[in-house]
Parts: sequence; structure tokens; C-alpha cells
Amino acid sequence: MAEVNMEQLLNCAFCPNMCRNECPVVQTLGREAVAPSGKARIAALTGQGHLDWDEAMLEAVANCLGCRGCTIHCPFEELNLCDELTFSRLPAGKEGLSLPGWDPYLNNLRRYSSPYGQKKDPVIKHGQGAEVLVFNGCTALANNPASIEAAASLLDKAGVSYQMIEEDCCGYPAEVWGDLALAEQLASENRRKFAESGASVLLTNCPECWSVFTRRYADWGAPLSLEISDGPSFFLQLIREGKLNPGGEVNEIAGLLDAFGIRADKNDGKLALSYHDPCIWARTAEKVDQPREILQSIPGIAIEEPAASRENTRCCGGGSMFQLAFPATAAAIAGRRLGEFPPQAPIVTACPFCREGLKQEEKPVLELVEVLDRCCK
Amino acid sequence: MDHLMQTMIQDEKTKQALIDQFAKEAAFIIGEENVSTNKADLLATCRDYWPVTSIWMSEGTVPALPQLVVWPGNTGEVSRLLALADRMKIPVTPYGEGSGALGGVVPLKGGVTIDLKRMNRVRWIDEDNLMVQVESGLNGALYEEQLNRAGYTGGHFPQSLRCSTVGGWLSCRAAGQFSTRYGKIEDMVVALEAVLPGGTTFEGRSVPRTATGPRVDHLMLGSEGTLGVITAATLRIWPLPEKRHLVTYTFERLEDGLEAIRRFMRKGTRPAVVRLYDAQETGNHFPELGDKVCALVLLIEGAPRIVEAEAAEIEACVNQLGAADVGSEPVEHWLEKRFNIAVASMLFQKGAVLDTIEVTTNWHNAYSTYRAMQDALLGVEGTMLASGHYSHVYPEGAALYMTTVGFPGEDKVAYYKKLWQAAMDACLAEGAAISHHHGVGLHRGAWMAEEHGAAFSVLQKIKQALDPNRVMNPGKLGLGEVEKWRK
Repeated sequence: MAEVNMEQLLNCAFCPNMCRNECPVVQTLGREAVAPSGKARIAALTGQGHLDWDEAMLEAVANCLGCRGCTIHCPFEELNLCDELTFSRLPAGKEGLSLPGWDPYLNNLRRYSSPYGQKKDPVIKHGQGAEVLVFNGCTALANNPASIEAAASLLDKAGVSYQMIEEDCCGYPAEVWGDLALAEQLASENRRKFAESGASVLLTNCPECWSVFTRRYADWGAPLSLEISDGPSFFLQLIREGKLNPGGEVNEIAGLLDAFGIRADKNDGKLALSYHDPCIWARTAEKVDQPREILQSIPGIAIEEPAASRENTRCCGGGSMFQLAFPATAAAIAGRRLGEFPPQAPIVTACPFCREGLKQEEKPVLELVEVLDRCCK
Repeated sequence: MDHLMQTMIQDEKTKQALIDQFAKEAAFIIGEENVSTNKADLLATCRDYWPVTSIWMSEGTVPALPQLVVWPGNTGEVSRLLALADRMKIPVTPYGEGSGALGGVVPLKGGVTIDLKRMNRVRWIDEDNLMVQVESGLNGALYEEQLNRAGYTGGHFPQSLRCSTVGGWLSCRAAGQFSTRYGKIEDMVVALEAVLPGGTTFEGRSVPRTATGPRVDHLMLGSEGTLGVITAATLRIWPLPEKRHLVTYTFERLEDGLEAIRRFMRKGTRPAVVRLYDAQETGNHFPELGDKVCALVLLIEGAPRIVEAEAAEIEACVNQLGAADVGSEPVEHWLEKRFNIAVASMLFQKGAVLDTIEVTTNWHNAYSTYRAMQDALLGVEGTMLASGHYSHVYPEGAALYMTTVGFPGEDKVAYYKKLWQAAMDACLAEGAAISHHHGVGLHRGAWMAEEHGAAFSVLQKIKQALDPNRVMNPGKLGLGEVEKWRK
């Protein structure tokens, strides 16, 4: 089990919450117990044996999006509070404590290896042995198969040999919901399938999956020998190599948006889109230029930034599976985030959770791969 | 094992049956989801950034605990909750973001803590009249961010900007780092909206000035929750400055730096940031300047021609005192690091007691108070460091901000009390005022009578008139008994 770094946790616990303005949870709920240092205090006090876990304390400490917004201003360079909070509450899970919001999804994970229940296989399958193994992630499979088709279409256009397999959940939800043994089991199963695939590159468009492959699998006893690639970097490289050629006129792109039910205004002959940086791509993977470069490679598109962007982006409310476990809080956080976007510019993002969190009835959100695919002949 | 809930200075509690009844009626007013008795919420709101609460937390105890936490969403709900608490004679502690340094939110008599953070809207921005109306639970950095997006600044940048609320600023008469140009929080207030015990809601008029008797809404400024709850404020705003000029001067003697400031303030210049560090702090904050000189950090901003004129006047004044111009880099460094207080957590974990004590001096005793307080702090056994800087200046004088670090060994709380006694004795003996902007809270109440003289009885009478059942934030501002802490 990952060890809590008590010195770092206490640095946070004894700090007056100098980062709390960037914690979407406390700024949305207004509840002191879910402020970053508030959570750190509970975690530290339980870890030191001063306090016993109860459901309310577990729920408070679990009210973390894993978005690392708290790191924007954090002076403690070695502190990753989101990780420390996750590690700190694992003993509560071992003691059998859980939250009502987690239980149905944990049951799904145990039964179907997906928090969403019966898994859907990807519609596109290519032969075994292809160089690139595309890992779609449970959320894209459950909520947005169109993004999977778009990614496959782009790979076809670029002439990339790829395969998709029957995936198990990456395991991150199991860790977040306190069942580390289940996380390790899922990781082990995925590792076996990856090895059997014969692929040398593991490509994913899901930041949560990417994060757990790169930051957890080795600790969970499932080190990966494949090169792990993120969607934004991978597709940008295909553009740079001339294997993908975005083209088309502004009107064509406006037509594309119409096809998604999005009305877009043209400004100075350019079509304005706003890019929402997913937290993990921006702050953990440091992929803020790649998606912008992809959008800028499409003729006629201009990017309008939201109030907080790039490394200072704010979570959509979907981090750490909040949309499943704390749906009301997730929706409220998404509402705050939406208020930071230019009202007229359609939103593009590169994360299945962000797409799900920010989409509104009257205003869908596009995945980066969907925009790119429509603009590549 | 589970002894966290041991309270160290709780004077009394309300009978549980009354709390249960209050909870039931509060749930009817604000919804069940906005009322909590769970341990996580009681624990979170029982403390602020008072060093003593950290000492106790490290030992697994708390200063005192509320019995109930409520989150009203609007002024009407605050009014109904205060009416209920007053009728049931249940103590009420208002809570913002808990960045206070003197125990102002410790619920000495238990009761109800009203967390105001759901009241976090900017109600309106009036660009023509340069005013904003904002609810008291809004985070300071997010307040400034919203103003910036509209092209304005609130001009208020305390070190706690990111971890304090607008209501907290108003309640403790806060001062920000840019205060010499934009003023302290009381200079920014056009009008306040507040609720008194019993539920009466009132609002001052949002006009530049009135001559219709005392401004009763301004009475709430600095009342630290002892007279009622500030629910919203109309504040002054400024267009974002067009130009910023950064410059640092060094002086061989601290007294020369003070004299230079006194001279340029007499000239009428109002640089936004004026910070004069003693040699020790100069060495700590700006190692490249060494620890043999005293750095004066200046930031001047506003309309370009005014900035240039102020810079020229200031340069003339500092040159009279033999200052050396060392450029803008130290100011840039300060701007980058000004919210970084990591050292406090790290030293605390190594057994240190670190605290800051800010007082107000006139020019005639600005330097002597620094010396007297430094000697007093270093005279307490265990103190390793006592340094100072001046961070807010006026034509009449300056705020002196002392920082002290000690390694007292076992009884840190006893050391803390001795430290403060020594510092306050020295301050009062020099004729300085005991607080510039941190406020009084729980701990500084001991010196309120001496600080105010006869005026303190006026404050006591106001308290009695507005809060006859004495439900509002008991034991704070020196208004009420603090038996266990004083022992």
C-alpha cells in the first residue's frame, strides 16, 4: 500500500489553506471540512491515531477531485495533496468503511470490471499484433462511442496500425473508492492483456487512465513495458509528420459544429472555439500546448481562452469520478466552470469526464479528436 | 484513541436538547443539508490560524468545539437564524475561511457556528460610480479575480488574500499590502449590510458620504462577530492601473529608512506598497542584498504621469538620507513570494513556535518601539529570532510587524503567553497601539482595557445594547470572560 508522507501532509495541515481559492470543491460547497487543509487535518489526525474514521470524515477527505488545483499556489514542492488524501483514506476502506455514493459503482467494478456495469466492446477492432494499442477507458466506452470512432478514423487516415481489445477498468476508480486490492487486480489483468497484444505503444485519450498507467501501475505490481502515449501528443505528432492534414474552410467547420448541434459565431472570418484544459493533461502531464497546436492547425479556427486556462485550469467537476459518486457536487462545480468561458465560443476538450461534465442540453461539448477527424480528409 | 474532541479552553456548552431544537428549526429555515452536527464539520470550524490551535492539534486536542454548524445562503436566512439563536440564548460564532491569527472563531461556549461561505456572490459592479456590492463569504482572491475580469481592482491584498473572505476583512479591520495607495479596508467601505442579534437587518446607504449622525453600519467594522454578522458590503473599486513602477532602496540604518518614508509621505506621495525591512529580514528575504543594510521596497502604480511624479519625489527624499538604488529585482522577488508562508509549517514541525505581532506607531516612536519589542521578545527564554519590518505607512506613522521564532521545549503554550505578555508590555510602554490589522480575537482581549482606556467602557455599553443576551461570539474583543484561557 502506498505510504502517506506524513511530513508533507502536516505541512498542509498546519498551513492556513493558502490554496483554497483554487479548490473547486470548497469554493462550491462552502464547507470548511472539504477545504484542502481541512481535509489534510482529518487525514493527518486519523493517520497519527488521534482520531477514528467515521463516514462523515471519510466523505470529507474523499471530497477531492484529484485536480491538483491546490498545487497552483502550493509552496510545498514535494506535496501532492490529492495523492496523500487518497493514500490516507485507504485504511478506512480496509476497515470496511465506504460511502453510499461509491457502493453501486464498486459493485459494478467487481462484477464487470467497469464502474458503468456491463462493458461495451469497442466497435472497431483490428488484428492482433498491431503496433499501437488504443485504450479507450470505461467513460468514453459508456458515454461517447463517437469519440472512439473519431480516434479510429484518424488512425486509419494516418495509416497507423492499431488494435483495440476488451479492456478492464484501469483501476483508478477502485483506488479512489478505497479498494486497493481491486485496483491491483484490474491492473494485473490489463498488464497481462497488454503483453499478449504484442503492441509496443499504449495510446489513451483518457487522462485518468494515462495517469494511472504512468503513476500507479508500477507501485501496484504491474509495471508496463509499452511506451505510454497521450492522445494530444500522439495526434499532434501525426499532423507534424504530415500523416494528418487538417483542411477545409471556415464554413465547413461551422457546418461540422452544426452537425453536433452547436451554433458558432464567426469573428473576423475565424471561428472561435474555447479549449478546456483537463486537469491531468494540464498539471500532471503538462500537455497544454499540444491540444492548442492541433486546433491551430485547422484553418479558420481561433482559440478563445476561458478565465482560467492552461496550467491554471479549473476542474469541470468530473475528476476522481465525482460525476458518479457525488453527482450534485460535480454538476455545481461544472456550472461554476462554465461561467468562466466566453459565452459564444463552443467548448472543445480532450477528456471524456470533462466532456460529460461540461455538456449542457443546449450546448454540447466536443472532443478534440472529433473536431480533428471532421477536419481531416 | 479517539480523544481529539478533548477541548482545552471550552468554558461551557449549551444543553443538547436546546441544540437539537435549534437544529430542527434551522433545518426548516435553511434546509437539512445546510445543518450539520458531524464530527468533520465541528472539527473544521473549531479553529483558525492562531498558533495555539496548531500546538493543540499536534497533540490531538482542540481549543473548543461548536455543537452545530449551519450554512445560510442569504441575508434573510442569517436574520432568521440569529433571531432563533437570540430567542434560545444559544451562542453564535460567525466563520469565514479561518485565517485569523488570534483565535477569533474559537467557540468558547460551544453553540452554533455560522459558516458564511455559501454567501459568495458579487451582487453588482457599478462601473460609473466605481463601487461593487459583494457578499461577505466570498474568497478574497476570487473577489479580486472577478473585479479584474471587469477591468477593476479592489486594491486589497492581505497576505491571506487566497484564504480569507471579504467578511473576514471587514470584521477584523484588515489591511492589505497595497494599502498606502488604496487604503485599509475601512477606507474602502462605502456601506455595510449586517444582521444584529435578534435578527434586525440594516444597510448603510451606498453614497460617498453622509452627515446624518454616526454611520451605524461602520460600527460593525472590526467588531469580529461580537455585535452581529456582516452579510454584505458596498466597496470602492479602481480601474486597473495603467503603469507600475518598482524600485528598491537600501539604507545603512533602519532609522534613516523611516525618516525617508516620513518625508515622502509628507510630500503627499502615496506609493501602493511601502515595506521597510530591518537588516535581519533584508538578509532573509533578499539574500543578494546581504544582512547589513535595510531594504525599502516600493511599488508605485496608477496613471503614468502621476506614477512618474511620485517616483521622482520619492527618489529625492530617499537620496537625502543616503539611500542606494538597488533596482526593481527585489520588488519582483517580493511580488512572487509574498504569499509563501511555507516556512511556518516547516518550522512548526521542527518544534518551533512562530508568530507575528503587528502594532501601530507614530513616527516619533516607530524606531524605539521596534527596539523595545525586539528586546522584549528576545528576553523570553527560548526565543531565537525577533525581527521586524514596517509595512503600512501614513503621514502620522507606520505599522510595525514583528516576526518571532522560538524553540521553547515542552510547554509551548506557556511560552506563547509569555511572549505576548512581553511584546504587549513593551508596545504599550512605548505608547504604540496593540494591533494594526490582525485584530483582537480571543488572545489580544487581555490588553483591550489598557489599550482603550475609558473608551473601552463605551464599547462594552454598545455590546450590551446590541447584544443583551450576549450570544454573539462570546469572549472575543475582550468583551466577556475567557476563564480557562486566562488561567
